[in-house]
Amino acid sequence: MPATDVAAKIRGALNDIRAADLDDPRLMEVLSLAENLVDSMKMFFGSLDNSIHGEFLHIAQYIARTRDEIAALRPNDIRESRLPTAGAELEAVVNDTENATETIMSLAESIMELEPTSLEDYKAQVDAKMMGMIEACSFQDITGQRVSKVVSTLTHIEERVARFSSVMGVLDADEETGDEKEQWRKDNLLNGPQLDGPETGQNAIDALFDGDITDEQLGQDDIDNMFD
Amino acid sequence: MAVDMAMPILVVDDYKTMIRIIRNLLKQLGFDNVDEAADGEEAFQKMQSNGGFGLVISDWNMEPMTGYELLKQVRGDEKLKGTPFIMITAESKTENVIAAKRAGVNNYIVKPFNAATLKQKISSVIGDF
Repeated sequence: MPATDVAAKIRGALNDIRAADLDDPRLMEVLSLAENLVDSMKMFFGSLDNSIHGEFLHIAQYIARTRDEIAALRPNDIRESRLPTAGAELEAVVNDTENATETIMSLAESIMELEPTSLEDYKAQVDAKMMGMIEACSFQDITGQRVSKVVSTLTHIEERVARFSSVMGVLDADEETGDEKEQWRKDNLLNGPQLDGPETGQNAIDALFDGDITDEQLGQDDIDNMFD
Repeated sequence: MAVDMAMPILVVDDYKTMIRIIRNLLKQLGFDNVDEAADGEEAFQKMQSNGGFGLVISDWNMEPMTGYELLKQVRGDEKLKGTPFIMITAESKTENVIAAKRAGVNNYIVKPFNAATLKQKISSVIGDF
């Protein structure tokens, strides 16, 4: 029942009591107070009703929009198809690289162990093994294509997540600190290879170990980080 | 003093191909007595049970025990603390280099590296050969 109907019913009940012509002044005082209360309630519930309705409408619209945006992300497609495919491509890259390395190294080792009977024999054997190395290098073309497919998948996901984040006004939460594995990596300074080559070149390292420069000269910022 | 070319060398890396590369380079340099371990834990066990090595060449990024942890364990062990230790790693951030030096590493090589660099660093640690 709407709040306005409830207020009308209470007001009706109050009028009936008043019409009963009661003489008790305290009762009339209570009735007067109740009437004020009912008016206040009517105003309160009336405004509450409208604002709640508006809020719920807004929330419902937001939920519907969120659902549409999540659907646009195509999360099932990403989870069931794109990511597994990208993972399989990367595994294949690792395997291709490993196989090629194995082939090239085996051929190189066999060249070092050659025991030729003549110069001609030596050249023939080296040429054959070198050709094997050249053939093995063809893995680069295939791995390049596989990596391109993975990059394409990442770009696809990045675009959709960026759109979702922008449309929904998502703010980044604080970084989680409870991940034990991540903490272990931090404790052991596992930063991995740098993208644009070594951050500290071999020459700078040599200078440090030869005593030509000090720890401080090598990198004050990093030293600060070690003690922060 | 002449370098003992028959001294045992321990190569520690979780990537078999890298062990193979270092083995081959050491062989070219004249070192044939090479043992290997796949991480710091296995390396430390071998060092304790084999009575030590003349040189340890270790990667940094390995599990469950990293080369950095191995270095600290070795330097903290009364019997092993004098073992020459070279780090060969892709960890090239300055904080890594400084941390390793402070932990007592004798020299540090960033990957990728070549045979000349390896020879030079081994010489600087154990003497010319």
